[in-house]
Amino acid sequence: MAADAGGRDVVDPWIQEAKASHWTLLDPDLAIATLYSVRNVPSAFWIDETGGIVRANDPIYALRRNPTTGATSRNEKYLNAVRDWVANGSSSKFLADESALEKRRRPASVSDMDAAASFELGVYLLRHGEPTHAQRHFDRARQLAPDNWTFRRQAWSLSGATRATIAKEIRDPAAPAFYPELDLSD
Amino acid sequence: MPVTLIVEGNASTASRAQVHGEDVWLPLDDLVSTTAWELKAEGVCRGETCVPLSSSQRAAMVRDEKASTWFNFTNFARLIEKPVAIDHETRTWYFGAPGWEWKSWSATKTAPDFTAPDLAGRPHALQQLRGRKVFLLFWASW
Repeated sequence: MAADAGGRDVVDPWIQEAKASHWTLLDPDLAIATLYSVRNVPSAFWIDETGGIVRANDPIYALRRNPTTGATSRNEKYLNAVRDWVANGSSSKFLADESALEKRRRPASVSDMDAAASFELGVYLLRHGEPTHAQRHFDRARQLAPDNWTFRRQAWSLSGATRATIAKEIRDPAAPAFYPELDLSD
Repeated sequence: MPVTLIVEGNASTASRAQVHGEDVWLPLDDLVSTTAWELKAEGVCRGETCVPLSSSQRAAMVRDEKASTWFNFTNFARLIEKPVAIDHETRTWYFGAPGWEWKSWSATKTAPDFTAPDLAGRPHALQQLRGRKVFLLFWASW
């Protein structure tokens, strides 16, 4: 699910390169991301045969980068967890327990929804040639939902924020966590 | 002056709207074409869903003026807990989903259903995958 206001044009090259055989869907208003309380991307969900969520909001990349050597490798640990779930279903040891699910699926609050409304209004204004007005609503969305990095990062991308601005916001000691911890039992 | 209304993702122009602060008053004749909601005897309805109004709510939302009947859509949106965002300078009002929808999404352990288009514009519904495991990954190009 491409949660990207750039829509088809910007995500198409990535999907072509991945030669995806799975569904590749578009969420240009980030409305479905909001529906799932996604606060940063990437974010993965496991949904079982009955439509139940059994893992939520995993901050997962397909490749891992070694911080010392810079070399990348497939994230085998996570892939193995997915394979285990595919093979063992509800008896997989990798399913999230109640409290982990609860934590990851923090219910949307009034201010989360107001933030989403401001963000979507900003996207609309930007698409209709009103970048200055759009920025005001992106700023409001950030004030209302400071832990929603999806909105922040999308706004940076749309407004062409400088690397310095981005780094400053991410490194701000008062900033909310960028990703949740990935808890995978061994 | 016209007002742009975005109601649950659908944008339309209300050419005869009146604005008072955050309140957008729409001629009753234009209500359904611009918002998909409609005033009926049983309340304010969209398809099968009707929100009944008390007489005081109705008095606050509906008024007769200049030979027309007007409906305060902002007031109604607040009643049903639709998030509202406003850009006064471009006269654009954004209204999100009603509270009973966004509250139920987060209260359930069932994956919220959605329908989204693929690159060719073909719609796909999560519901179609019932009976199979689904790995749902949100990502972005930035």
